[in-house]
Amino acid sequence: MIRTLQQMEEKVLRLKKRQHVAVAWAQDTNTIGALSKAVNKGLIEAALIGKPSDIRKICKEEGIDPAIFTLIESDNENQASAEAVRLAKSGEADIVMKGLVGTDKFLKAVLNKEKGLMKPNAVLSYVCAIEIPAYHKLLFVTDPAVIPFPDLDQKIAMAEYSIEMAQKFGIKKPKIALIGASEKMSSHFNNSVDYSVMCKMADRNQIMDCIMDGPLDLFLACDKKAVKIKGVETPIDGDADILLFPSLESSNPFYKGLMLFAKGELAGLIRGTEKPVIVMSRSESELSKYYCIALSCLMT
Amino acid sequence: MVLKNMNDLRRLIDVGLRRKLVLAAAQDQHSLGAVIKAWKENIIEPIFVGDKDEIEKICESFNYDITGIRIIHEPNTEKSVETAVKLVSSEQADILMKGKIGSATLLRCVLNKEWGLRTGNLLSHFALFEVDTYPKVIAVTDVAMNIAPSLQDKIAIVNNSVSCLNRLGYKMPKVAVLGAVEMVNENMKATLDAALLSKMNQRDQIKNCLIDGPLAFDNAVSLESSMLKGIKSEVAGDTDLLLMPDIEVGNVLYKSLVFFAKAKVASIILGASVPIVLTSRSDSEQAKFDSILLAAAASK
Repeated sequence: MIRTLQQMEEKVLRLKKRQHVAVAWAQDTNTIGALSKAVNKGLIEAALIGKPSDIRKICKEEGIDPAIFTLIESDNENQASAEAVRLAKSGEADIVMKGLVGTDKFLKAVLNKEKGLMKPNAVLSYVCAIEIPAYHKLLFVTDPAVIPFPDLDQKIAMAEYSIEMAQKFGIKKPKIALIGASEKMSSHFNNSVDYSVMCKMADRNQIMDCIMDGPLDLFLACDKKAVKIKGVETPIDGDADILLFPSLESSNPFYKGLMLFAKGELAGLIRGTEKPVIVMSRSESELSKYYCIALSCLMT
Repeated sequence: MVLKNMNDLRRLIDVGLRRKLVLAAAQDQHSLGAVIKAWKENIIEPIFVGDKDEIEKICESFNYDITGIRIIHEPNTEKSVETAVKLVSSEQADILMKGKIGSATLLRCVLNKEWGLRTGNLLSHFALFEVDTYPKVIAVTDVAMNIAPSLQDKIAIVNNSVSCLNRLGYKMPKVAVLGAVEMVNENMKATLDAALLSKMNQRDQIKNCLIDGPLAFDNAVSLESSMLKGIKSEVAGDTDLLLMPDIEVGNVLYKSLVFFAKAKVASIILGASVPIVLTSRSDSEQAKFDSILLAAAASK
């Protein structure tokens, strides 16, 4: 079982298989930095789509040899996004990554019905693995980036995506905690209703390969002591692998709090696509960006 | 402790502390027959309220010896119900039974705000069946009173039935929430409610029982069926109480048990301050007798 992001990177390195990454509107310093590290470590080969002159300029400033990349000229961010998706669709690239383009424009290309990368009828969502010194293993968090208010079907998809990712980390039956403000079921709280339904679906193997419970508050999900004190019987038992949040507004501040105050690093990916799609916020560290690339290699 | 058959109810009856049963509008031959039989067998101590002349006439023509039974003469049927209910609310009687009067009139008196038998709980119907093909009696609710119970109603119905079963000696009765399938299906509300009730039970929001659902009827009562389906459940195949999704399912099940499976049935109304025997005219004298037995056993 992989317990740290570094172990995840090591596992990917042992695969000794370079994945091809197509980067949309690539002239971004952080992105190029993370990509060059991944290329030099042997994880990937990268096609940088955008303005070659700008890319060369950044490489020069950062002391990176632009010859390690394939440069593809593109006029604007929409075209660059479409081209990156086209490369993945045609099999020339294994992974698509967002550069300097806005997330909405980039995802529009991914979501395009004919030319896009979505699996048929799939839910677009996001899962990330977060490492913090305060927890004894990685915490998978969903969805801190894409779905504002997931409905039941979207929550089920989020659960399945995160289970699939955790399994790639060697966790056969991940413990998935459905996070709420309390562990009680109340018909006034839609999320606790959805959670109860999902737990029964897990009981009945309609959601497979996991140990699921919820609603649970964060303490019951991640702190064994709290479970004892509260006396709540839960198979998660303060040892959650996955935290599924009820909304973007709860999950996004949670993950940012971990980054900001708990020395967190993360690796995250868009899910629901035929091939891994990397979308990172500009404020993320170069290390987190590098880990995102490594994670996408693990998930191909 | 589990009741194997109706006769086991007798073991719960303290002969030294015979419950007082008041029969409202007692001038009804079937009811009189059942009550007198129960009296002769030391199950209850009857009080008749109604038209004394008619009561005596019926008893004479059917050779019922009623020497020693208290009769309160009240020829007006509505008033006789009122008198009977008041005997219960003033704690002079422990069980109320319907004689020759419509259920609606009786229930209106039971729900009277000044002298009725309200407890704040929902009234619900509780039936106990003995069938040759099941190794113990099986309780079913609600087959006759609540038409389309909401989730809140179902919680109340379960609570009524569980506290009755607790009084009958079941420490942790196994409750199966019935659906057409054992899977959660968003288009079948019964399966969603079942999931919520299960979760509330896990969280101790519904106590003193073990709830699982949705379970299809076969999974609920046959271990073989549930094993074939791979259902992991402590309730499946060993159900003590079946919770019906609505009255239409419940009533058809009740009548098919009686007519096709030749079940013995006993039923009472729960949720008032005392058990109410409210059998219908079409019920056999045996069913009326068993219902009196059940009411006496379930008396606080």
